[in-house]
Amino acid sequence: MTVPVLVIGGGLSGIAAAIRIARFSLNVQILEQHSRLGGLNSYFYRNKVLYETGLHAITNYAETGDKQAPLNRLLRQLKLKRKELSLCQQYKSKIDFHGHESLFFSNQPELFDAEIQAKFPHIHDKFIQLKKFIDLFDPFTLSPFRSAKQYLSELFGDPLFVDMLMCPLMFYGSSYENDMDLNQFAIMFRAIYMEGMFRPKGTIKDFLDTLISHYEAMGGITRTNCRVKKIIHSGNRVTGVELASGEIIECSYLLSTIGSDETRALMNPPGQITPPADKRLGFIETIYELQEASTSTLPEDTTIIFYNTTKTFQYRSPSDYLDPSSGVICFPGSFSGLPPKKNREIRSTHLADFSRWKKLSADPAAYLEKKRQAAVESRNVLETIVGNFTKDIVFENTFTPVTIERYTSKHKGAIYGNPVKIKDGNIGYHNLFIAGTDQGFLGIVGSMLSGVSIVNQQILPKI
Amino acid sequence: MTNEEIKDLVLEIIEDIDDEADFDSLDPDQPLRDQLDLDSMDFLDIVMELRKRHQLQIPEEDYPNLATLNSCVMYLEPLLKDA
Ligand SMILES: Cc1cc2nc3c(=O)[nH]c(=O)nc-3n(C[C@H](O)[C@H](O)[C@H](O)COP(=O)(O)OP(=O)(O)OC[C@H]3O[C@@H](n4cnc5c(N)ncnc54)[C@H](O)[C@@H]3O)c2cc1C
Repeated sequence: MTVPVLVIGGGLSGIAAAIRIARFSLNVQILEQHSRLGGLNSYFYRNKVLYETGLHAITNYAETGDKQAPLNRLLRQLKLKRKELSLCQQYKSKIDFHGHESLFFSNQPELFDAEIQAKFPHIHDKFIQLKKFIDLFDPFTLSPFRSAKQYLSELFGDPLFVDMLMCPLMFYGSSYENDMDLNQFAIMFRAIYMEGMFRPKGTIKDFLDTLISHYEAMGGITRTNCRVKKIIHSGNRVTGVELASGEIIECSYLLSTIGSDETRALMNPPGQITPPADKRLGFIETIYELQEASTSTLPEDTTIIFYNTTKTFQYRSPSDYLDPSSGVICFPGSFSGLPPKKNREIRSTHLADFSRWKKLSADPAAYLEKKRQAAVESRNVLETIVGNFTKDIVFENTFTPVTIERYTSKHKGAIYGNPVKIKDGNIGYHNLFIAGTDQGFLGIVGSMLSGVSIVNQQILPKI
Repeated sequence: MTNEEIKDLVLEIIEDIDDEADFDSLDPDQPLRDQLDLDSMDFLDIVMELRKRHQLQIPEEDYPNLATLNSCVMYLEPLLKDA
């Protein structure tokens, strides 16, 4: 039997892509290597408590009724009713360049504007100019890399402001060191500063369950514990895939969401990953759960803090296991309208070096010890920013780029994938396309829009 | 299908895509996209729904024929004659 469309990878991009196909009564199967869908955006249990893995906040908040907003377009495309989702907005977030300057922003763009006017009055008119530019700019036309850093430096002439402006956008959506493509900058600027951040009222498990049951109700098929070992093709025409079990499934179209190099590695002969395309950014994240009667004086009304403690912000692979001098601190309970939780949670994310962690992982005891130390190093910086909380920790869990590599098979465990994106999803095959992380739309809404738009452009009109 | 039935079919499909679509002041000779605030992604859905419901294969170069409600009727009439 030939399946019209096979989707490799059951992360958010794969699920969204498959829903698009199933919606029009076309047979589609998701092939996922793990026992559970979700990919980077998943969950795990410890002591019967559910912990989310890939969610601080979802970008691109939009009110009901704003039809052109990316979030509402996405929901319409997936035939999910906005009314059925309970979305909780962030309180406010902060860009904290400790010892230098700080800027608050929220889902009301006026707050960010007022902050800039108060703290960077000399460039406020330029900021208004930037907003106008971004408003009229079409970041979706295919164009070669343009340096956002250069554009902003020329516009503002204020390195501190440029670094502060770029810091959250890089942490939440850049696979590129110390710069961003202007298109990606514009997408992320709108997503974070103009639209804002939220999370669903339920857990990521509830969110995934909603998507999966919606998909399966349309007739879509999910196959878990199915690792694709090889892509079968003659020349640039794909005929099917071979699973790790040896089973062969034939297909008319193949959509891969596992990364461009990771996809090429399944070809015959397998593609090799050579420099500079192998340059990847790794991250380390720790989740802390604090005891109920916590005496810590953590900020109550801040959802996320993007911080930097050095003179110039460096968004690049560190020359140590991690770089705690900058990072993201998230309070997952700080969204308006969330049901109260017994214990408070804090998450911290920093840039990390894959190769050091990988080498160390050969010695499990040393690797575990280093994870513990890394969390201490991270906390030492965090506590100068949010106050002490170490004494209240009842649970902590750290993952490294090696964890990500292990769970998602992403090359070098790089959450944001290849620095070079393939915007039209075309990697040189007649009926194989890529979507998700390496297509270029990043994050939760981004990866889902990526799945939707590649199916719309490359598969639905032809099938 | 009669012209009226085709009109209803198109509107029903649009309503299915966007349950907030407002047809009250719809001008059948003006582009649907502008009036209903639809984008190219929604537009593809009209084509795909026609295919799902009536097995119509509409080639990409014919999409402009679906611009207004009246042009939809003109274009679809011969195709849905026996439907
Ligand atoms: C710690 C962390 C925090 C994050 N925080 C946020 C946030 O706050 N907001 C936000 O918007 N985004 C956040 N993200 C990013 C977001 O989760 C990702 O951008 C998004 O989930 C990527 O989805 P994807 O489908 O492109 O990739 P993936 O989720 O990686 O999906 C790929 C899937 O393919 C499977 N696979 C790989 N190889 C094979 C194979 N050979 N055969 C079969 N299956 C295979 C993998 O198991 C995986 O399930 C975060 C990510 C992490 C890790």
